[in-house]
Amino acid sequence: MITAQALTKRFPRVTALDSLTVEVPPGVVGLVGANGAGKSTLIKILLGLLPPTSGTASVLGLDVVTEGDRIREQVGYMPEHDVLPPDVSATELIVQLGRLSGLPKTAARERTADTLRHVGLYEERYRPIGGYSTGMKQRVKLAQALVHDPQLVFLDEPTNGLDPAGRIDMLGLIRRIGTEFGISVLVTSHLLGELEQISDHIVVIDGGRLLHSSSTAAVTGTRERLLVEVTERPEALVAALVGAGVTATLSGRMIEVEIGDGVAYDLVRDRVADLGVGLVRIEQRRHRIAEIFRAVPSEATVAADVG
Amino acid sequence: MSADQTGVIHDIGYRHYTGPRLGRGAIVRALFVQSLRGAYGLGRSAKSKVMPILLLVIMCVPALVIAAVVNGFKLTAQPVPYTRYAVVLLAVVAIFVAAQSPQMVSRDLRFRLTSLYFSRPLGRLDYVLAKYAAMVCALLLLLVSPLVILYGGGLLARLPAGAETRHFLLGAVGAVFFAVVLAAVGLLIAAFTPRRGLGVAAVIAVLLVTYSGVSVVQGIAQDQGQDTVAAYAGLFSPFTLVDGVQVWLLNARPSSPVGPPGTTGGLVFLATTLALLAGSFGLLVLRYRKVSIS
Amino acid sequence: MNATVLRLSLRGLLGRRRALLLLLLPGVLLLLAVVIRLLAGSDEGVTRTLLGAFALGTLVPLLGLITGTGVLGPEIDDGSVVYLLAKPISRPVIVRSKLMVAIIAVTVFAALPTLLAGLIMSGLAGGLAVGYAVGALVAGVAYCALFLLLSVLTRNAVIVGLLYALIWETVLGGYVPGAQKLSVQQWALAVTRWIAGSEVRSAVGLPVGVVLLVVLFAGSTWYAGRRLSTLTLTSDE
Repeated sequence: MITAQALTKRFPRVTALDSLTVEVPPGVVGLVGANGAGKSTLIKILLGLLPPTSGTASVLGLDVVTEGDRIREQVGYMPEHDVLPPDVSATELIVQLGRLSGLPKTAARERTADTLRHVGLYEERYRPIGGYSTGMKQRVKLAQALVHDPQLVFLDEPTNGLDPAGRIDMLGLIRRIGTEFGISVLVTSHLLGELEQISDHIVVIDGGRLLHSSSTAAVTGTRERLLVEVTERPEALVAALVGAGVTATLSGRMIEVEIGDGVAYDLVRDRVADLGVGLVRIEQRRHRIAEIFRAVPSEATVAADVG
Repeated sequence: MSADQTGVIHDIGYRHYTGPRLGRGAIVRALFVQSLRGAYGLGRSAKSKVMPILLLVIMCVPALVIAAVVNGFKLTAQPVPYTRYAVVLLAVVAIFVAAQSPQMVSRDLRFRLTSLYFSRPLGRLDYVLAKYAAMVCALLLLLVSPLVILYGGGLLARLPAGAETRHFLLGAVGAVFFAVVLAAVGLLIAAFTPRRGLGVAAVIAVLLVTYSGVSVVQGIAQDQGQDTVAAYAGLFSPFTLVDGVQVWLLNARPSSPVGPPGTTGGLVFLATTLALLAGSFGLLVLRYRKVSIS
Repeated sequence: MNATVLRLSLRGLLGRRRALLLLLLPGVLLLLAVVIRLLAGSDEGVTRTLLGAFALGTLVPLLGLITGTGVLGPEIDDGSVVYLLAKPISRPVIVRSKLMVAIIAVTVFAALPTLLAGLIMSGLAGGLAVGYAVGALVAGVAYCALFLLLSVLTRNAVIVGLLYALIWETVLGGYVPGAQKLSVQQWALAVTRWIAGSEVRSAVGLPVGVVLLVVLFAGSTWYAGRRLSTLTLTSDE
């Protein structure tokens, strides 16, 4: 879907992207990075709106430098910030935007009605946007990215400002877009947990460099690890476990234990009983994307593992 | 509202679009039409319609009155020449430019609608062209409607049709000059002031202060017998500038004390107008170069 | 009057672009004064025209509009006025503080330049400079109060204010004699006439002018305080 080869973008005072090489497969892809890591610059370059300083990139097989117009015909963009004027209705706005993507008049009206239905806006669509809740506004933003039936959409922090229920809805919607609608998605977020839930593939960039790129399954695959929580004196338990020859580390209130060959379960139970503390949980531990940030120093570039 | 609630009854699933995708020309035309409609509040909330329609009405009422007077008193010529109408009612025209230029451009900047525009196959130059054309047409509607009313009234009163038609057409051409220049100035100023209210104030300030200042200088210069100064003072305000071009090119009667002196004067006025147009347009395009999608 | 509100409003009003506009307009006046002085020498009639038609007739209403709507309008427009209204400051005090800012701005950007322009054009002769400056001041103060009230009443305050200042005071004033009696400009000219002599023409006498100015000022300020108390914020146009 998207390829970048040694993509670099330098501004007078900062290097936003530094020799970024990555290949993004179709499906739902999560783009992770802290603020200032280069996500927005990358999206602008991929949309053909910003020429790179060096390197190449292509979206849907089209070169970003020479075929930007055609890319923008086939791609949708949902910005992170507020973009909606308060004095038009959702229908009116999206029809207009549909036409600006190249849809003929009648097609624009039909697709607007369809798209608004798919994102879950019903009677509200005829009222001025000024009166919408944040959740409805996010849906309008999403709808305008989909109205022209793009092959790929860029969603920038789509769950911003949503309450927990709204978040779940939006994530479900994004998942549907990727699977049922057959539209590839590039989602950016700070919230790693969300991305874990919905992405097939994760790309991590930091400081303009690629940190990691692999399928979600590869990153979060379960390994032999236990998460233990006790009611008190976790340090004592850690000491006891280490003393028994098991690798155990304390992180916050949780204890992470490396499993050997099934021995650890009994060992943990026994040590907890010895100490006389209450056992809250023993849980099999999945990896979280956050560990990528913890384990790898920001200077290194980990080789891509397209899985 | 959960996305799953799209319901079993109506949900025929997502359909891909296989129809035609129109090119740049159609897209620019679509933006042009949308902007023109927006200038008169069509397709927006009811409140957006009040001001432009009110101003259009205020613009046309005197024309109706004049038409009635011409017919009622059986006058033999238009009391207010077609080419002078815009200048007589320049307060209304100025308010329209001041009120609707922000609607045309500041609004997109203020709410960052430009992010959604420029992430589509719509270039910055396309955007400026479409907006400019829309503003020119919006102003044309404002300026020509009263002229049509005057023309109708004149024909009804059996004024000589040939001469009347010629005057009407000259007035319409003059209206085009005004629309073209005022649109450029208004949009330029509005594009630099996305804050609502300030954009209106800035445009009206520029249009009025220049006009008022020029009028005062012209009056004083004339009293002092400095006719050349009075004539060239007209260069410093969009209204008098365009009026000068009208006077020279269309042989209209000057609204200011004197028109541009001779051919040199006429050329200077024309050249200044073209420079103003080119400069405003250029600056406008430059301004939008700096607008980013995020 | 609340010093913090005053200080913050002042800073808000003099934001980059508005400040540019506020400086530009009196700049044009001073430029014209110099140009005309060079053209026509020192002439009282000419001074009256410039200060009357241009300064008092165009500049002062415009500056009153920009400052009057600029001290509160933008805050109401983008909703940040809630922060102000949530403070334990009474509404009338808020209005008075903001009005003070507008008045200071109008004094600096309209009345003082009028004085300067008059001095440039005819020195202290005939009290013209002082007369018109005082007229500009009282007109400016009245306009500020009126337009501040307008900005509380409607989001289109600038345009409504323009319709009043331009169409009512200028255009209609020319055709409908009664309209002249209800024009801030004429009331201010009455004050100017009192100082600068009877060559200055005004549609009302001094007592009427002063009374109406005071009534407009006090009434607008009071009503603005009341309406601010019941301000509802809508997020659409």
